[in-house]
Amino acid sequence: MPVVAISVKHLNKLIGQDHPQEKLVQALEQLGCDVEDTVNLFLYKCPACGAPNDKLETEEGTKRCEFCGHEDGTIFEKFASDKVIRIDLLADRPDLFNVGGLARSLRGYLDIETGLPQFALSKGELEVNVDPAILKIRPYIVCAEAEVPALDHNSLREIMKLQENLHWGIGRDRKLSSIGVYNLDTIKGPITYTGVKPDSMKFYPLGYPDTQMTPAQILEKHPKGVGYAQLLQGKELYPILKDNQGMVLSMPPIINSEETRCQIGTTKLFIDVTGISEAAVVDSLNILTTGLIELGAKIKTVKVNYPDKSIVTPDLKSQKIEVGLQNAKDWIGVDFTKPEFEKSLRKMCLGVQLKKDGIYEVQYPAYRSDIRHEVDIFEDLAIGYGFDKIEPRLVPTMTVGSERAEEKISNIVRDIMLGLGYTEIMSLNLNSIENHITKINLPQDNNYVVVGNPKTINQKVVRKHLMSGILETLEKNKKKVVPQAIFELANVVCLNPEMETGTNEYRHVGFAVIGPDAGYAEVRAVLDSILRELGLTGQYVAATHPAFIEGRYAEVSNENGFLARVGELHPKVITNFNLAYPIAYCELRLIKVI
Amino acid sequence: MAITINDHQWLILKTLIKAQEFLTQDQLISRNHLDNAIVSATFLYGQEKGWLEIREIAREELILTETAASQIAKGFPERQVLSYLVAQKKVPIKEFVTYLKDKDLQLNDIIKWGTLRNWITKDKGEIIITTAGKNAVDQEADDEKALKVAIPEGSIFLDELDKSINLENVKNLLKNRNSVVKIKARTLRLAKITSKGLKELQEDKIKIVQEKNILTSEDLLSGNWQNIKLRHYDVKLEAEKVYPVKINLMQKIIQQTRNAFLEMGFEEIVSSQVESSFWDFDALFQPQDHPARDMQDTFYLENPAKAKLPSKDIINKVKATHENGGDTGSTGWGYKWNEEKAKEMILRTHTTAASIREIAKNPNPPRKVFCVGKVFRNEAISYKHLPEFFQIDGIVIDKNASLATLLGTIKEFYRKMGFEKIKFKPSFFPYTEPSVEIFVYMESKQKWIELGGAGVFRPEVTRPFGCNVPVLAWGFGLERLAMLRYGLKDIRELYWSDFDKIKEVALCQ
Repeated sequence: MPVVAISVKHLNKLIGQDHPQEKLVQALEQLGCDVEDTVNLFLYKCPACGAPNDKLETEEGTKRCEFCGHEDGTIFEKFASDKVIRIDLLADRPDLFNVGGLARSLRGYLDIETGLPQFALSKGELEVNVDPAILKIRPYIVCAEAEVPALDHNSLREIMKLQENLHWGIGRDRKLSSIGVYNLDTIKGPITYTGVKPDSMKFYPLGYPDTQMTPAQILEKHPKGVGYAQLLQGKELYPILKDNQGMVLSMPPIINSEETRCQIGTTKLFIDVTGISEAAVVDSLNILTTGLIELGAKIKTVKVNYPDKSIVTPDLKSQKIEVGLQNAKDWIGVDFTKPEFEKSLRKMCLGVQLKKDGIYEVQYPAYRSDIRHEVDIFEDLAIGYGFDKIEPRLVPTMTVGSERAEEKISNIVRDIMLGLGYTEIMSLNLNSIENHITKINLPQDNNYVVVGNPKTINQKVVRKHLMSGILETLEKNKKKVVPQAIFELANVVCLNPEMETGTNEYRHVGFAVIGPDAGYAEVRAVLDSILRELGLTGQYVAATHPAFIEGRYAEVSNENGFLARVGELHPKVITNFNLAYPIAYCELRLIKVI
Repeated sequence: MAITINDHQWLILKTLIKAQEFLTQDQLISRNHLDNAIVSATFLYGQEKGWLEIREIAREELILTETAASQIAKGFPERQVLSYLVAQKKVPIKEFVTYLKDKDLQLNDIIKWGTLRNWITKDKGEIIITTAGKNAVDQEADDEKALKVAIPEGSIFLDELDKSINLENVKNLLKNRNSVVKIKARTLRLAKITSKGLKELQEDKIKIVQEKNILTSEDLLSGNWQNIKLRHYDVKLEAEKVYPVKINLMQKIIQQTRNAFLEMGFEEIVSSQVESSFWDFDALFQPQDHPARDMQDTFYLENPAKAKLPSKDIINKVKATHENGGDTGSTGWGYKWNEEKAKEMILRTHTTAASIREIAKNPNPPRKVFCVGKVFRNEAISYKHLPEFFQIDGIVIDKNASLATLLGTIKEFYRKMGFEKIKFKPSFFPYTEPSVEIFVYMESKQKWIELGGAGVFRPEVTRPFGCNVPVLAWGFGLERLAMLRYGLKDIRELYWSDFDKIKEVALCQ
């Protein structure tokens, strides 16, 4: 999960009060944020452009400027440090992805400024015309204009990071939505959102001020193009935003143009969000613009002309949802008074109005993309009220506990095995084909559960027997004194196309003895004793199995079918696991679990 | 009052009374045909009672190795070459080596021991015989004399050697000759009767009982046990270490967890490790493009690749809930739900899949159920992460269920697991509202440790399955708990099953 580093100084400035770091951390945690740690951020000055690059105190100093790309192999000069709180981003609350949104929430939670925040918008002149051709490719676009205090390195980076985080949190890595931010002074409206053939035109992509590329070339050569090419794979037309001079602003969702890039000193921004999900583009724009407002921006609307309608964006009006007081009391388990109820919600930056008896209208700001049901308001209520004030108690209803049959039988078998001097081991369910099939001499017949995308070959197959785990354990302990006697109780998974999940699960017990005298008689005696204690009888039949020595292997069954295999392991299997003593092994199917 | 003494001890004490002088342990052993242990025990007992005066003399014993006798008979290597060197007076090393080869001797040995004895010197590539060397030809060295005396018994105390032998010399020459002999420090114990002993130990005042080491079945059957005294042990002596075979450490945590919920009136349930995306994600209102469903984190199966889905009715309800909220009172996620994607087979990412299956099976309150099972995350094995781990999942379906009762249930569970101090922090999970994270206070570490997540299921999760009361839900990983309990730093140790480690970790922790 991405982590965002929030400057304590900056956060306090935006809150408008000076709070010690510990108090901020505590308040953020009570709001539900996942505070990773608090560390110092060191700032390094780029010798070429003077931009401040930051690194955590635990990281090595920077050698490459993130603004101008300057790199000369030496670590830049450190000139300042800043205390930061590092927070894991919460996918459900993208409005808390940046310092502005966090400051706003803290102002509410700390009782500095409660209730529904108001966001002023003014009407802008800029219009965006949507070409019908693009509607099949990436059909949604919303835009805004922003007047900001002249950008410096910090605010520029702030905006870049928020953009990146929203791509992760809402955009599903630019698939659902992606954001473009431009220097508005370089653009002449109206802007056209259109689609072009991959080789039909050229522009200067960001980072390549001297090289024009076609959209197709960008996907092949530009690092961002290569990284996100799959989002446009197979499309006839690639999305393009251009101004009325024909200058390209960007090729969503891949890259902006070099000409329109934001720079130090830029005061006017144009913002677009395009995507394939209407909710995602609207949420992204609302969170970005309300975040910018917290940082001192003034937002102007943009008129977007679709072929069949015109809309004015952003729309930062609050939304509302009806909430029943009694429902809230039941859900949280606290008998809230009306003032407690109202105050708790206002602390969470929500508007509260009693509509009729017991029914409240709760208004929530446009950036709260997470609210889809009254229970979302209940959660805010509990947070605003304080989890620590809620008295934990048990459900008064009486119920009877009961355990599963396979656990009952396993506990009996565990007692027997421990009583007979076998040590219990546990091994892993996932295994490599080599250890689970090849080394056991089993045929590679695909008659097992196969994982399609494991990170390593050691997780390629779900075990269908316990033998490989037991042998791996013996291998790990081969330097210890023999004889060794071990057992494992676990589930194995076997294919069965009749089942809903295509599989059955069984509880098995597997046990082995290794040592110079290990032999069939010993494990057979143990198997007999388990069967006797469980009240089972089995028919022993001489059989062959590729893992066992011929003539020293039996299969055991009863009226319900297969029960157990027992015998002396084949020298090939023993040596495949680098072991040097005879091994007697038995595996017994105790019960069908699923 | 008569003094009770066992028969063996009385023999020893009687010998000492008669002798009225210091006798060694060995003397007492040979005179009374008793073993060392009895004599030692009598010395201790007599000293304690004030009957005996014990004197200890430090001694050194030469103990010959098995091959010592043959080596001594052949003569040490440096002696074997002595007459040759006397004849040569000096010999170049190269030539000497050739000579040694024939005799199967090592140059290093000759130089090491020959110079230690001061028989030879080495100068400019030549070996030269010394005067002492010449003299030694027909004269036995002190160590050689001592060893010869020791051969019959295989050992001898230095103080038993003839006075003409210089003991310092013997020790110096033999202390590093480990292939022949070892010099061991011993203590010689002697005892003498005291005046108190003489006064108290008069035959008519003594009651003698038979002492034995072993109580036999015969003693018990014949009634002879009444006449015998069983020898006292030194009960403070360290015993040999033995270990019980044990339940696996991880298994112990699992069983403890199960028992805690069973005691709290929970019914145990199970679900398949191999699961459909439908039950693992869709039924829990996780949108189909949610990052948690990413290939990065989830094991997708090649075989079997597709699951059978539940009834059309359930599918339609879940589909509607995702798309527009259906009749759950929600707005839904606002996207087109894809049935094929729900069929994709995976390894379950959480045991919450078991909980939601159980709700679908029987949504009627009151119910309390739990499930312990393996869950899977597509990660490489490291000291911090395993691609599979145990999770305990539980739900409470009850008209009185609320956030407050969720906190109470979890608090009670962790109290049963041995954590008295617990705190809750708000959190965010996609299928619960509100959501909490649980922290317990570890006294041993003096800090708060995060141990799991919980929440009240969103109505979008429960209502499509006909459940209309709040459902409390939680999922806790168990490996972390086990690592804390056993002080492990590496999660892999839980599944390494190192037999020595299993032996040594105590059951009560």
